[in-house]
Amino acid sequence: MRTVLLGPQRFMTTAGTALRSLGVAGPVATINAGWEEREDVVDELDQVLGGDTRHLRLYHRTLDVLEKDAAFAAGALALRDRHEELLSLYRLRLQHALEGVYTLQRRLGGAAAAAARLEAGGDAGPPAYGALDDAIEGVRHVDAWYAAQLKSLYAGFDEESPVESSGVIGWHRGELGALLDGCAALAVAGGNVGTLLRALRLFAIRVPDALPVVAWSAGAMAMTERVVLFHDFAPDGASEAEVFDRGLGRVPGVVALPHARRRLRLDDADRCAVMARRFTDQHCLLLDDGTAIEIRPDGGLPSGARILGIDGAVHELRRAAS
Amino acid sequence: MNPATPGRLAVNRLRERLPVDPAALDRFVARHGSPIVEGERATFLFRGDADEVRVRHRVVGLPDPLEMRRLPGTDLWAATTDLPHGSRVEYQLETRRGEDYERFNDPLNPRIAHSPLGSSSVCAAVGYEVPDWALPDPEARPGELVDDVLHSKALRREQPVRLYLPARYSTALRYPLLIVHDGTDYLDYASMKTVLDNLIHRLDVAPLVAAFVPPRDRLKEYPNHAPHARFVARELLPTLSERLPLLETPQGRCLMGSSFGGIASLSTAVRYPGLFGSLLLQSASLVFTDIGLDHGGGPAFDPVVKFVNRYRAKPTAPVERLFMSCGTYEPLITPNRSMVPVFRSTGMTVKYVEARDGHNWEDWRDRLRDGLSWIFPGPQKLVYE
Repeated sequence: MRTVLLGPQRFMTTAGTALRSLGVAGPVATINAGWEEREDVVDELDQVLGGDTRHLRLYHRTLDVLEKDAAFAAGALALRDRHEELLSLYRLRLQHALEGVYTLQRRLGGAAAAAARLEAGGDAGPPAYGALDDAIEGVRHVDAWYAAQLKSLYAGFDEESPVESSGVIGWHRGELGALLDGCAALAVAGGNVGTLLRALRLFAIRVPDALPVVAWSAGAMAMTERVVLFHDFAPDGASEAEVFDRGLGRVPGVVALPHARRRLRLDDADRCAVMARRFTDQHCLLLDDGTAIEIRPDGGLPSGARILGIDGAVHELRRAAS
Repeated sequence: MNPATPGRLAVNRLRERLPVDPAALDRFVARHGSPIVEGERATFLFRGDADEVRVRHRVVGLPDPLEMRRLPGTDLWAATTDLPHGSRVEYQLETRRGEDYERFNDPLNPRIAHSPLGSSSVCAAVGYEVPDWALPDPEARPGELVDDVLHSKALRREQPVRLYLPARYSTALRYPLLIVHDGTDYLDYASMKTVLDNLIHRLDVAPLVAAFVPPRDRLKEYPNHAPHARFVARELLPTLSERLPLLETPQGRCLMGSSFGGIASLSTAVRYPGLFGSLLLQSASLVFTDIGLDHGGGPAFDPVVKFVNRYRAKPTAPVERLFMSCGTYEPLITPNRSMVPVFRSTGMTVKYVEARDGHNWEDWRDRLRDGLSWIFPGPQKLVYE
């Protein structure tokens, strides 16, 4: 299985180089549903990928399904409303859980002090440090609650609006399967990750292990198991990183953070430390302009990958990590 | 107006050169215009014969009127005042010739702000800029304004409503609803259509439907008026919900307004708790008294004070989230600051923002991004190009 995750392609285009590095011969399937209504504006994309492309047009296919299958459209709209409602409850819980974490962290003197205490063997106040651990565990619990609720929302939706009975969805799925079968690689572009994930789910896109993949920005996020949204510089101030949905799971053990420099307060070590520790079972992988990470055959990250450490600093992996 | 320059003020340098001929004064005025902004000081200028010349403004903390002084042997008048970084002040000049008083915009200052009451000159400090999202952006897809009229039993009249439908409006989607008091003024004087087009285009604000509602008798309808609240809650909202694809939860509904419109928003929400999820109050006229009823606001404020006093005695949480903004130079800054802890004590989530500005439409325009992006955040967090 060969997968390359890239940083944003807007200012530094590396997708073509990455594709060539995989040595693929044959047409390249593209998924750029995240571009939404600009999905068909692909001249530049074609040029970058060498011209021999097969655009899957998942966004337009989604619109086609919504137009032709009224029952599915009604179900999808209801699902979206329920998801929004769930997200609003999740954000409330998350905000309060994280406020508790930050308050404790301030009491303990921040991430740097915590790291120093750890290095010193934890003798500078283990009970207090345990409180921070437990508070972060509380945040993980909220994340897990949200993920479980979302899973049950999807299960309810699948039961109420079985896609198998939809002729139009079946037709699209069949065509997409054939299109993918005939391609030598897949390129997944960025854009709106919510739109992208919905389209991938609707058409049950399963990327064969043998098909090389190049994915960037939202596309890279979609390749992971758990898609986490983040934006510390939103106009209404820093908002907390939130688990959004499951990705395709092709790249395990990674939380993909495209535009990390532009979207994260990387100079706020305390905040970054909380993020890294919250997702401690995964690597928070920074995908900035020019980044190209080929996932190792065992699913791990190669040396040189930049990740957030639990001390809140950005670290470059010296050795490959699985 | 000049950018910040250290050292002596331009007008003082001129004083030291006196006497000068009229041509030198012409050159001085042509070069500097008015007001001359130097660091955190602003010098207002006027040329002409008069017995007195004053700068009229409503900045709390500065003397109003601000007397201008004639430079000896000239027809040039000047007054210098503090102007902290980022400030924006609306003002006019006033002359007295004998018993004849006249007020007018500063003839040496081309910068004008408009409001339903007329226009004023604008003095912008170093650090103030009109937000780029308040200016037309050719790349932003425009939404559409649709005029409608509702028959209101509550108000016993035909009530005009102007609806904003966002770009790419689709009946297959669900939109949050923003009901805007003084709706026509928000469109005319706070560029609100342009602001909505831009903020939605930039993903700062979710695509939304806005209902711009003008009052007829504002001073009667806005301070806690039962028929007005009934119109909003029982007529306008149900009608719009029936006709348009709107979110059905309170979290998808916001009432907003400025000044008395803020009181109209709050009092409507208090009368119909739980119907709206959020309020956006700009320089709300939250005047109250702690004892007695001598509030100093005149008869128009009597019902406001009665309502706010009653609310303060028994505060409730009619919505989940409350955004408040106020200018630090307006008289309402103290009541607004005082109400923040009262609102918070009810459990509402309150975001409060101040700006070095006054009680005017451009201040309210400039705070729209803060408020709207907090109440109805756009999909920016979902987009990774």
